[in-house]
Amino acid sequence: MTPLLSLRNVSKSYPDGGREIPVLDSVWLEIEARASVGVYGTRRSGKSTLLRIAAGIELPDAGSVRFDGRELAAISAGERSRLLRGAIAFVCTEDWHAAPGERVVDHVAVPLGGAGLTMRVARRRALAVLEEVGVGVGASQELTAALSLAERMRVMLARALVREPRLLVLDEPALMPGIGERDRFYALLRAVACERRIALLVASEEIAALQGVGMLVSIADGELCSSARAATVVHLPRRPPAGAQRTRR
Amino acid sequence: MAAGNPEKTKWMRGPSTPLRGALLGLLLERPGHGGDLANRLAARLGETWRVDTNDVYRLLEQLEKTGLAVSRDEPKRSNHRRTHLVYHPTRAASGALSLWMETLLPREPVRLGLQAKLSVARPQDAQRLLVALRAYERECLVLAHLVHPADGEARSWPALCMECTRDAVYAQLQTEVDWAARTRRRINEYLQDSH
Repeated sequence: MTPLLSLRNVSKSYPDGGREIPVLDSVWLEIEARASVGVYGTRRSGKSTLLRIAAGIELPDAGSVRFDGRELAAISAGERSRLLRGAIAFVCTEDWHAAPGERVVDHVAVPLGGAGLTMRVARRRALAVLEEVGVGVGASQELTAALSLAERMRVMLARALVREPRLLVLDEPALMPGIGERDRFYALLRAVACERRIALLVASEEIAALQGVGMLVSIADGELCSSARAATVVHLPRRPPAGAQRTRR
Repeated sequence: MAAGNPEKTKWMRGPSTPLRGALLGLLLERPGHGGDLANRLAARLGETWRVDTNDVYRLLEQLEKTGLAVSRDEPKRSNHRRTHLVYHPTRAASGALSLWMETLLPREPVRLGLQAKLSVARPQDAQRLLVALRAYERECLVLAHLVHPADGEARSWPALCMECTRDAVYAQLQTEVDWAARTRRRINEYLQDSH
């Protein structure tokens, strides 16, 4: 089976003073459709670089990154950007940008505007996805500025899901004040990925936050170490774990 | 990675293998009597190991029985009229230590086994250690992967305790993964600098 995403022999370095620091060193990783992979690494271990390269936001210095059989380096920046607005969704906790005075539902609906939908249809879809991630109708009308970090993560997830991606890439979504909130968010994430049959690539500084993924990978000094013998994938269970869904506000 | 000939790995059986391996490494560095080796072992492994001198004598006898050490009565430095038993490595000892470095570790207590190897490793063991550390890191990831995930709905006291237990496992494994990665980095940096 052709993997949905494959990184083959991928290397990436960043300049540090007069020398190059390797962040990824001949990394191999394959993710099949509907699979889930968790990347564990300490701060500055290279996991964010790995995720950005996997999502096509950055290109590697060497090696091949293919999504759905297409070599990302061979397509234009515009096409890569379209991929990022469609088949690949990238969510990073630190990338939260909401317009002042924006309502939650509009924040989630806005990306659909580019897809040619009217705002009314886009809002309807946004409401459905918000409901799916546990943000009720009342909360969806609130201002984004009023959201807690945990609520913001659910809204970011909804904004990513509304475009119906095939691969969801999340960088450090565990930075929540409460452990219970974190666990609930991850249970929701696994359930949503399973129900929607999308592949999941998620990175965290905490192994505990990556529980339930099909494959666990650690990254250090540019190298990957995998819980699987080959760096490929175990499928998510067909049914979501019991009690994994939604909390209501 | 693992050794093949069962005769050659016979001495590695049992829970005391890490200490036996470390003792063998110390013997290869320098022969010594039981008390001396017990002191050197305690200094090398640290207080957490609680090295018992009687255990050291027992382990040295085991090494002698398996043909990796030989003991001789030799005069004491402090009093030449008195003797004590000094242990020396045999010709088979160096190969046996290399084999131990390459041998997969049991699940428990894995870290202790690796630590024992690190405590007496020779420069030529660097690659073996890197392989062992990588295997250990992978083992920790596999164990973390086997933990049944929380469903995020813990509300009862038993469920909370279960989650805390699960968290303890994750915390321990994360520490181990970090330690293995850090140790590999140290060895790699040493290898780079020495070339």
